[in-house]
Amino acid sequence: MSSKPQALASTGPMRAFAANSKKITTELIEINEDLIGFNQYLTEYYKQLTDTWGVAQKKVNVKAPEIPQDVEQIESFKRIWIDIFDNDFTELFDSEKFGENYGNLVSKELELTKHWNNIVNVILQSVNLPSKEEIDEVYKELHSLKKRVGKLELELKKKETKNNA
Amino acid sequence: MHSESKIDPKILEEMLKFSKNVFDAPKLVSAPDEISLEVTPHDTVQEIDKTRLLHYRPLTDKQHKTPLLISYALINRYHILDIQPEKSWVRNLLLQGFDVYMLDWGTPTSMDKYLDFDDYVNGYLDSSVEYIKNESSTEKISLQGYCTGGTISTAYASLHPESVKNYIATAPVIDGWRDTTVISNLAKHMDVDKMVDTIGNMPPEFMYYCFSVLKPFEQGIEKYVKFFKNIDNKKFVDNFLRIEKWLGDTPPIPGELFKQWIKDIYQDNLLIQNKMYVGKEHIDLKKINMPTFTQIAVGDHLVSPECSMPLHYAIGSEDKTLRMYPTGHVGMIASSLSQNKVLPELGKWLAERS
Repeated sequence: MSSKPQALASTGPMRAFAANSKKITTELIEINEDLIGFNQYLTEYYKQLTDTWGVAQKKVNVKAPEIPQDVEQIESFKRIWIDIFDNDFTELFDSEKFGENYGNLVSKELELTKHWNNIVNVILQSVNLPSKEEIDEVYKELHSLKKRVGKLELELKKKETKNNA
Repeated sequence: MHSESKIDPKILEEMLKFSKNVFDAPKLVSAPDEISLEVTPHDTVQEIDKTRLLHYRPLTDKQHKTPLLISYALINRYHILDIQPEKSWVRNLLLQGFDVYMLDWGTPTSMDKYLDFDDYVNGYLDSSVEYIKNESSTEKISLQGYCTGGTISTAYASLHPESVKNYIATAPVIDGWRDTTVISNLAKHMDVDKMVDTIGNMPPEFMYYCFSVLKPFEQGIEKYVKFFKNIDNKKFVDNFLRIEKWLGDTPPIPGELFKQWIKDIYQDNLLIQNKMYVGKEHIDLKKINMPTFTQIAVGDHLVSPECSMPLHYAIGSEDKTLRMYPTGHVGMIASSLSQNKVLPELGKWLAERS
């Protein structure tokens, strides 16, 4: 038996534990790296919203500088505020810079989800349960079988109609 | 020195009344699960996987010979076409003597992530058409597609023109590159492969996000202010809650279908260029040679008119009509304008061909 302590992990029940720990640690390190990217896009996302808010509010101040004094004035102020904010925010959401950043933000979020899935897969396999990929395989097979059965049923129906005619 | 207050007492009165309405609301309005969105009586005549084919019971003694099948959108549910009796699209058509069927796409689960365009067009929609043809002893039916249901129906009309007598495209999603809506901008920048590989079906939460960025202040603030102001108006509240319930109930979209839809329609724009394939079959819009009626809403902020209109010019049909209405995406199908203008025009056009 080896005297090296790390070699102990390569035999018996500790072997799987060590391998799984390594996989999970790797995923956690990658999660941290992706979190940095995710936070960058998230910051940019809120920056775009805040900047748009600031510009829209300035427009409202120019268009309705007086403090509303009665119910009618409040109503018209509200209308101006909503119209300007809706226009400016729609312009933002419709812009290339928003679309691109939002796409990147969602993409980073998905990468984080993927790491989480990988960690869960390690745990599932350690207790002899199928991983997400293995379940997906089953779904794919089921889908393909359903399609084949559907086609066969259709052919059968056509033959029956032909025979009855 | 005392400064004179200029605040109108009516403002305080309004604020107090508004606060009272907010507190009273839970006592006055129904919970979402107490509201039934099933308005017009119907029977489920066929079920395949999670889809259901609904057949509405006739409201007239005499009916037109050709039945009509409505293929609703994949986002939200068919209830908007039958949201309340006086604004019901379905009821109006029944009263005009049409035999109406509706395809309910159901609620896909993780298991359905591999369902694709082919399953929807050549599977569920085709099975429904075949059922109706058999049941009504007709060789062809009328088909209406709304929104994304319009994309599916367009593909169907191109692949199975022998089964479609009349085609009605209501705000169909056709030309993704011309679409000027926020949704199209988000779709164009989406890594849809990664999304589907990671989470499978397109989750409803993503759709709710997309809705929330459409006119966010009108829809997120003003709409609810109006609701609390009108809390004593039973009819207004009932209508509001029905629409809210409908808006808050969107099923997931099967991953593979969503992937193809985003790529082929919004990112690569294959449908309008006659380059799209469903299964292994080529979609050629010129093969849509039956009478076609295209309905477009000028103020549509979900499917812009520029996205739907190209269908009218791309199809092979010689008998084609294009109608534009001064309303929005939902206004075209569930409003007084739809009852007084959109449906009578559609009914007249369809009756002449049914």
